[in-house]
Amino acid sequence: MKALPPSVLALVLALAPGCQKEEITTYRIPKEQHPAAKAAASAAPATAASPAPAGSDRANTAVATASGAPLAWTAPATWTAKPAGAMRKGSYAVKGDEGEADFAITAFPGDVGGDLANLNRWRGQLSLPALNQSDFAAATEHVDHNGLHMTVVDILGTGDKPQRILGAMIPHGGATWFFKLTGPAALVAREKPAFTAFLATIKPAAPAK
Amino acid sequence: MNDVTRQFRDFFTSLTLTVVLLVLGMVLVFAATLDQVNLGIWAVQEKYFRSFFVLAKFGDIPVPVFPGGYFIGGLMLINLIASHAYRFKATLRQLGIQLAHAGLILLLIGELFTGILQDDFSMRLTQEEPRNYSESFRENELAIVDTTDPKHDEVVAIPESIAARGETIQHPKLPFRVITRLYYPNSLIRNREAGTPASPAAIRATKGIGLNVDLTPLPITYKQDERNLPGAFVELVGSEGTIGTWVISADPRMPPQRFDYGGRNYNISLRFTRAYKDYTLTLLKFSHDKYSGTEIPKNFSSRIRLQTPGGADDREVLIYMNNPLRYAGYTFYQASFEPGNDKVTILQVVRNPSWLMPYIACSVMTLGLLWQFTIHLLGFIAKRRRTAPAAA
Repeated sequence: MKALPPSVLALVLALAPGCQKEEITTYRIPKEQHPAAKAAASAAPATAASPAPAGSDRANTAVATASGAPLAWTAPATWTAKPAGAMRKGSYAVKGDEGEADFAITAFPGDVGGDLANLNRWRGQLSLPALNQSDFAAATEHVDHNGLHMTVVDILGTGDKPQRILGAMIPHGGATWFFKLTGPAALVAREKPAFTAFLATIKPAAPAK
Repeated sequence: MNDVTRQFRDFFTSLTLTVVLLVLGMVLVFAATLDQVNLGIWAVQEKYFRSFFVLAKFGDIPVPVFPGGYFIGGLMLINLIASHAYRFKATLRQLGIQLAHAGLILLLIGELFTGILQDDFSMRLTQEEPRNYSESFRENELAIVDTTDPKHDEVVAIPESIAARGETIQHPKLPFRVITRLYYPNSLIRNREAGTPASPAAIRATKGIGLNVDLTPLPITYKQDERNLPGAFVELVGSEGTIGTWVISADPRMPPQRFDYGGRNYNISLRFTRAYKDYTLTLLKFSHDKYSGTEIPKNFSSRIRLQTPGGADDREVLIYMNNPLRYAGYTFYQASFEPGNDKVTILQVVRNPSWLMPYIACSVMTLGLLWQFTIHLLGFIAKRRRTAPAAA
């Protein structure tokens, strides 16, 4: 083919920038006939990151939870499976005389701020002060099961009816998995052997087909 | 004919150009297919096919490295039309070729129109709740809604692409400026208990939900069945200084946050881009059959009430698989449902004014090829008849 004539090049360059332009839009709409649930949600915004209320929009949207390889586990027979919801990979109720503890399995891409930040987030949930990097080693244990490295924490809250968190953070397949048992301290203490045994059952699973 | 015109004509009608463009097209499709692993189907379509050039970033500077789909397709279209016009001869023998090429031209134009005009939204309906808008699958907007009027809401919707730039946005409908202080294209929002220190971010929320939650950036997801949930710290600045900084997130569980300014009430939220309609749909009943003993859906259908405000239309329709509702230029397909919640249905809302084009184009091409082959076949038969007696 002959060299591109300059006139052709000029035409092509003139056409090139014709791209779509997004603009700010304004419009007036009749007020939505709100269901009560949604109105309540906007009045009490502090529950933003709790499980979606029944009336919430798009609650079933697939959010970027763990991408990549999944994990498999075997829960103790005494734990009752609950519906996992949009954000959880697994969810169990652990019942006892002292009440009920919640066992949550979540996974998010990346390191979600790092183990220290995640530990401090959990400490914050029990109203405990944040730890420094220097305290981190003393506050955590490390175990390995089935080729997975687990950072295990045991956090006891304060007060008359203290809460306790047993948690494990497991980096796997570019994501971080969190296994967390939260509940009344006495109940959680009794479930600690079950939790420890549970950790040994966690293993990489074949990806879902 | 002067030199420039001849240059143009020779270039655009040349078969070499056709071959070069076809090869470039093949390379483009091959590269895009490989890149789909990294980017997913939507981003690949935008980057490779719905662009004039494929851009690669060197540092922060985007550099065109290969012609994009619009460029190759556009030149192909010009090449086809030019050759068509230049070599056109109104003979019956040529009619087949002409028709096949005309069909190809229609196909290219149809894809261009689809790229420009097609809207693809989703609509989530809860039983007995009328809804008059659909929501984008991928795009988001920063919405500031003046809710003072008891009957109407005044909405200012800022596309995510504009909000993400971090520039000061001053809009005549807003008595304050909007500044995005920090923006994450994908993020995670989580509760923070009272008294816990905020995440070590340089920017803090001073109003609303942001006082109780942490916003953590997440890597952008390119998976087809997931969407990015952007989050941002947005500061509003009035004539007397800052009004406050809010954390907003497109996470569907995050409700709009209310605030008052200048005696008026507002809502601020980051939400899936909405497209309002001038009619409402209400879910009356969602039915969902599964294959017995499994969770595999066998059949699902939605009985919907369609109403226009003036009452011109008020009827019930049944939408089920392969039986969409077509109304006012939009097609509503039964798309999905929420497991365990039979009071919700999810419809896909598609507007594609050029949806008939590929059908017409393929029919025209088929006609052309049929004509062409028939002419050849008839000529061949006639030739055999002529030679057969001579051989005998």
